[in-house]
Amino acid sequence: MTDVHAPSDTVSAGADATAPFGVAETELDGTGGGATVGPPAAGADWLRWGWRQLTSMRTALVLLFLLALGSVPGAVLPQQGSDPGAVQQYFTSHPGLAPWLNHLGLFNVFAAPWFAAIYLLLFTSLVGCVVPRTFRLAGSARTPPPRAPRNLERLPHSASYSSALPPDAAVAVAASVLGGHRFRMRRPDAPDSGHWVSAEKGYLREAGNLLFHLALLGVLVSIALGGLFGYKADKLLVEGQQFADTAAALDEFHPGRLVSGSDLAPFSITLNSFTASYLNSGESRGQPAAFHAYITYTASPGAAPHSFDLQVNHPLSVDSTKVYLIGHGYAPVFKVTTAAGQVVYDQPTPFIPANTSTFLSDGVVKVPDAAPSQLGFMGVFVPTAVSVGGTLESVFPAADNPVVSLIGYSGNLGVNSGIPQSVYQLDTTGLRQLTAAPQVLLPGQTWTLPGGNGKITFVGYKQWVSLAITYDPGQVPALVCGILALGGLLLSFLVRRRRVFVRAVPAASGTGSVVAVGGLARTDASGGFEDEFASLSAELAAADAAALAADSVGGVRQEELEPNNQPETGA
Amino acid sequence: MAVNLGLAQVSSDFMIAALMIYSLAVLAFAGDFAFGRPRRATRKSTASAVTPVALADADRAAELAAVGAAGVSGAAGAAGAAVNGAGGGPSGPGAAAPATLAAGGGGGANALPARPVPPFRAIWQAGPWVRVAVTLSAVGILAHVVAVITRGFAVHRAPWGNMYEFVTALTCVAAIFFVYVMIRYRAWALGVFVMGAVVVALGLAETVIYTTAGPLVPALQSYWLSIHVTAMTLSTGIFFVAAVLGIMYLVAERYRARVAAGKAQPGNGLLERIPSSAQLDKLTYRTVIFGFPIWTFGVIAGAIWADQAWGRYWGWDPVETFAFITWVLYATYLHARATAGWRGRRAHYLQLLGFASLTFNMLVVQVFITGMHSYAGVG
Amino acid sequence: MVRAKRRTVVSVAAVAAALLTGALVVTLTQGTGQAADPNLVVYPVGHRPLAPDFTATSLTGTPIRFGSYRGKVVVVNFWGSWCDPCRREAPTLAVVAEQYRSRDVSFLGVDVSDTPANALAFTRKEGITYPSVNDSGYAVTADFGRVVLVSATPTTIVVDRTGHIAGEIYGTATYSELTSLLGEAAVTT
Repeated sequence: MTDVHAPSDTVSAGADATAPFGVAETELDGTGGGATVGPPAAGADWLRWGWRQLTSMRTALVLLFLLALGSVPGAVLPQQGSDPGAVQQYFTSHPGLAPWLNHLGLFNVFAAPWFAAIYLLLFTSLVGCVVPRTFRLAGSARTPPPRAPRNLERLPHSASYSSALPPDAAVAVAASVLGGHRFRMRRPDAPDSGHWVSAEKGYLREAGNLLFHLALLGVLVSIALGGLFGYKADKLLVEGQQFADTAAALDEFHPGRLVSGSDLAPFSITLNSFTASYLNSGESRGQPAAFHAYITYTASPGAAPHSFDLQVNHPLSVDSTKVYLIGHGYAPVFKVTTAAGQVVYDQPTPFIPANTSTFLSDGVVKVPDAAPSQLGFMGVFVPTAVSVGGTLESVFPAADNPVVSLIGYSGNLGVNSGIPQSVYQLDTTGLRQLTAAPQVLLPGQTWTLPGGNGKITFVGYKQWVSLAITYDPGQVPALVCGILALGGLLLSFLVRRRRVFVRAVPAASGTGSVVAVGGLARTDASGGFEDEFASLSAELAAADAAALAADSVGGVRQEELEPNNQPETGA
Repeated sequence: MAVNLGLAQVSSDFMIAALMIYSLAVLAFAGDFAFGRPRRATRKSTASAVTPVALADADRAAELAAVGAAGVSGAAGAAGAAVNGAGGGPSGPGAAAPATLAAGGGGGANALPARPVPPFRAIWQAGPWVRVAVTLSAVGILAHVVAVITRGFAVHRAPWGNMYEFVTALTCVAAIFFVYVMIRYRAWALGVFVMGAVVVALGLAETVIYTTAGPLVPALQSYWLSIHVTAMTLSTGIFFVAAVLGIMYLVAERYRARVAAGKAQPGNGLLERIPSSAQLDKLTYRTVIFGFPIWTFGVIAGAIWADQAWGRYWGWDPVETFAFITWVLYATYLHARATAGWRGRRAHYLQLLGFASLTFNMLVVQVFITGMHSYAGVG
Repeated sequence: MVRAKRRTVVSVAAVAAALLTGALVVTLTQGTGQAADPNLVVYPVGHRPLAPDFTATSLTGTPIRFGSYRGKVVVVNFWGSWCDPCRREAPTLAVVAEQYRSRDVSFLGVDVSDTPANALAFTRKEGITYPSVNDSGYAVTADFGRVVLVSATPTTIVVDRTGHIAGEIYGTATYSELTSLLGEAAVTT
């Protein structure tokens, strides 16, 4: 916050001409309060001193810098909140360093207590500074501007012109011009202090400044609200599948502290089909062109279903919850039968893309109910398969030539222990590999497993989408506060707090008067007060001449005027 | 829609043309430095100006200047000081200035503040080198704008969808903004530095990070591209100018401090020609406060777009985080300027740190640190 | 140097206070709403939430209406063939189902996120003879989820004769947990 200080109530004429705004606040805080240096009298003294330190500009500077510095590891190191896999990878690649960084909370910077401490201190400092200044602004808006100094030439901007009007009339003309520009004015209270008018404008600057800082506080509160009452969730959905918005259905569910199951909007979504189109030619061949997830949703059980084309940048909004298309992949469909022909597995199995430009994907098929022993398969799905020197590679992300390569195992999958396993990983400790080489299957082909273990058929493939479901009640308030902050910022930069003084003294020649104009802009961030002052002075002079002409039209005193008393404003 | 390769080629050609014309402009600015009219013959504290129209002759100008010397005070007034008359064209930034009344002068002479000399006359009066340099800059900007616009038409969208396009667009903004500032404040001496930086940046863009025209990935296909990235482009271009000015301030300030301490010889001409430290400082400040609200708006627009595309308005993605760090650093600079003991060099360090963070964000974080902003299209 | 000492002390105190507040704020706002799930929840008579009514299709295709179970105690078990803890508790469920059949206790499975082929292979292998509804769309799960916490499988909910939920078991159900909950459910006045 820059240094507009409320005007002191009285300004002795001339004495403070160059600093009529009183002692600048900046001179106060540099020395730590300007307080007495003596030993602390009591605890209250310490508190007061501490509080003044906390709300000083210097502390704000340090805290702001710490805030920026503290955010750097949050950008450079992998963060638990956005990419837990990368954090794990960091641990494996930096086994010595990673635990230390973890102790310091550097893998979850923005949820770390020390980061919270920084912004809490910063906002306390902010509030401690903003609230008194709000009162001061309200006070200064009620106090009239200070009296005009005697010597207006000592001000940074000054000008003068001759007037044929007597001093009081000249000042009256000037006052009406200033009033037309919506300046707040003060006229002399005592008749012997001369003819002058004091004008001030630009209170909105400080108001904008305060609005900006308070709006930032509003953003923080909105974020906290969203965190408490909102939730984020992920869901992977295969074509043809459906889900309802309930905790058990969601793959990942991160509710805020005050969220309960009944707070989830009761919608259901069915994925009818998903299409991804890619560029076929040119330098960007293989780059995605468009994604369309065609879904049907109902806002609540039994409500009318609606269709929707869900795309990136085109989310679904249902019941103030939003559903986003985040990713996609392939889910090859497998059917496993026993040697006797009984079906023991028949479903699309989501595979995870290992390479996001060619969509070569990995996956696992677990068949715990196979007979005579449990079966497991590690598979690679190749959307557009081309054999390169004996190995299969994918050259294009669309499924133009889909092929699946399987390594089969039989034995004990380890699922009966009850400890949950990842569906994307196969624990081969209790398993025996069925064949040495992987088996490649085209769509429709069946592999008869050795040892009477049955058959597996690669039926075909479906696609899956991953959806993000979010509910954030703090979102709209945060946006509103953000816009208010921007508005306050613009006000504080564009508006300048300025004072203009006009003083008229009788001319030495006896008739008319000499009018002096002085101007002062305390904080002129965007510049331009010079131009404003120049045009204002010219306008004052012109209005004076016009008033004179209006008088002379009435036929009074025209002959008495000196010819070159007409102000030449030039330019 | 397919990319219009013909237009893409036109865009490329105009970009190279702009680069060459800018280089010539930089040479002309350098020529003005070396061979141009001496300027800034006056010292800060004594000058005052009056409009030519209000005066009859140069004597009166001298008389009023003498009187004005006593009257003008304060740094705010000094920034507006300029000298008209025999010394050549108006010098230094700012041509409007206060004038004062000769005490008891009576008789009709009004001393009203001068209206500034119109810009074209000021350019003309600055000498042949400046005329050539400004003309070349203007022509270069024209070519640059054509290059950016044709690129946009070639790819049927706003032409800032990858790093190359972003850099070419922001250098265009920087050039336009700088030329405006230079003319407004008559700061011809800054030309060689800022336009030189523009040439370097544009050159690097053309050689190192050039990307052929192509369509956008689905995540970027949104009208928010026009809003968010445009704001970031504009503000980056403006902060670019502020950074160059800040470096100039630090170099000049250090040199002047050394001269004052007697450790260096004054008068080697180069640093005498650029505006004073106070003027550079004020110019930098005004540039930053022009760019700061635009950056703020860009961050807010980015958050709205992130919510549309990724499901959350703020996720501490590396690029988001660095944009936040940049914002905080510039906010720190603004606070520092209002704090005793932190104005001057320290504040400029902060401002340059902010620009360094911005550049790091653009060139390193977006390219090398995986996150959701990895659309640079580079490598 | 009183001034310097005062500065140090107050600064340290402020930073410590801020850190503590920070930790507090962080845990309050960013913690998850789902603290460690309790293993067993029992509702006393008179405080039992009403179980939702629903109609669904069994794994073999026959329609099942939950309302038809009114008057009996029903053990509703949420499971899936892909769910390993469900596999672990399956023998327990099969045994208790058999034991309590004569006491007017019915078992009903809710098979989530599964295909009938896989689910039937599971029930065949693990000896589950009671029917399950095919809830691949999570409709039934969502209905229950709005009344009591259902966040993962396996979850076992015991409904008393009046159609009110007597209690829930989260995670693998043990024999003693299940039988004690059935004892609670038998009491309805």
